[in-house]
Amino acid sequence: MHKLQSVTRMPLSCSMFLCQRHIQMLRKFPIQKVAAIHTTNRCLDLNEFFDEHKNWGASEVKVGRAWKKEELRLKSSSDLHKLWYVLLKEQNMLLTMEHDCKENHVYFPNPERLDKVQDSMENLEDVIRERNIAYFELETTHTGERPAELIDNAFGLKEVYTKTEYDIPKEVNKVWQEKNPPVNNKSRAVQKFLVLLREKLANRRYAQLAKDKQQVARIFANFKDVDAEAVQEKFPNVDVEEVRLSDKARGNWAP
Amino acid sequence: MSSRWYPIYQKGNPQLRIFLPNFWMKLVKSKDPLPPNVVEFHVPLAMTNHDIKNYLENIYKVKVANVESTLENGKLKRAFGKIGGFVTKEEDYRRAIVTLPKTESFTFPDLLPKEKTESDEKERKKMQKQQADNFKKYEKRANQIPGVPSWFRY
Repeated sequence: MHKLQSVTRMPLSCSMFLCQRHIQMLRKFPIQKVAAIHTTNRCLDLNEFFDEHKNWGASEVKVGRAWKKEELRLKSSSDLHKLWYVLLKEQNMLLTMEHDCKENHVYFPNPERLDKVQDSMENLEDVIRERNIAYFELETTHTGERPAELIDNAFGLKEVYTKTEYDIPKEVNKVWQEKNPPVNNKSRAVQKFLVLLREKLANRRYAQLAKDKQQVARIFANFKDVDAEAVQEKFPNVDVEEVRLSDKARGNWAP
Repeated sequence: MSSRWYPIYQKGNPQLRIFLPNFWMKLVKSKDPLPPNVVEFHVPLAMTNHDIKNYLENIYKVKVANVESTLENGKLKRAFGKIGGFVTKEEDYRRAIVTLPKTESFTFPDLLPKEKTESDEKERKKMQKQQADNFKKYEKRANQIPGVPSWFRY
C-alpha cells in the first residue's frame, strides 16, 4: 500500500509497471492512510488490578507525562470515553499497588504516577465540561451547569449556595419549613459580630502595611541607588516617596 | 452531565446513566483466610453493593455472584515527634467482600518476589562494603601524613 501511495506522487515514467487508467484512478481517489495497529482490550479480569509482572518489586518504574488539555481537545468524545476507562483502571491498579507496598512497609516506586493519572482525569473532565457547556448554550441558550447563588448566610457573610432539586418546593414543604426556620441575619448580635470582624481584618491590613513600609525603608537604607519605581511596583500599597524621605530610610552613608 | 450533577429521578423518567464514573477500587490481600472464589476490595463510602457489582461486571468483565460490604473506620494515628503529638486519622472506606462464581478461583499474587528483594539487599550490602573500604583507604592515607589539615588529605 505504501508503494501505491508513493506512485501517485511519482512522475509517469517512473510508474510504467502500472496501467495508465490505474494511475489516473489513483490520482483521482488517493488511498487514504489507515491506522497501522489495531488492538483489542486486554482481558485479564482481576489481574488488571496489578501492575505488569516485571514491575513487581522494582525500585523504579519509568512512565510518560499526563495528558494535556490541548491534546484531549483534539480527540472525539467517544475516544475520550474510552480513555477515561483506561485511566480509571490505571488509577485502580496504582492504588492497589500502593496499598500493598504500605502493608509490606516498602517504598511505592514513583508515586507521581498516581498524580499524573489524576491530573489527566481532571483535564479530561474539564474538556468534556467545555463541550457540554458549548452544546447547552447552542441548544438552550444557558449553560447546563449546576445553578448557584450568592447569599448572605446566618452570620451575615457572603456565601455561594449551590442549588439542588427537590421533590416538593420549599414554599409548600411544611416539614422542611419546620426543620429550617428562617434565620434573621440582620439581628443586633450579627451586626456586632460583623463590626468586630471588620475591625480584626482592618487591623490585619494595617499590620501588613506597616510591615511593608518597614521593608521599603530598609531597602532604601541598605542600597544607595535603588529604582524607586520598581519598588513602588512591588509594594503598590505603600507611598514609597514618603517612606524614602522618612528618617527610617536613611542609611549609613552620606546623601 | 459532566459537571457531576444529576437530575432527581422521577418514576417513569429514563434511567440515569453515569458516563464518567469516578469511583475507585482497591484489590487488597485479606488478613483472614478466604475461600478461593472470594475477593476483598476497598471502595469509597458512597459506593453501594449494586454499584460494586455493576463496576466489576461492566468495566472489568468479571462475573460476580454476591457482594457484601461494611463501613470501616480509618486508622487513628498519633503524630510522634511533633509537639503535642496530635492525632491524625486516615480516610474511612468501605470493605467489600465479593464472591465470584464457584468455578472461578483467585489467589492474591506475591507482589514482592523474593528474588528481587534479595538481589536488592545484596546490592545494598555491596555498596556498604565499598564505602567502608573507601573510608579505610582514606584513613590509611591520612595516617601517613599526620598534622595535615583534612582539607588537603584526600
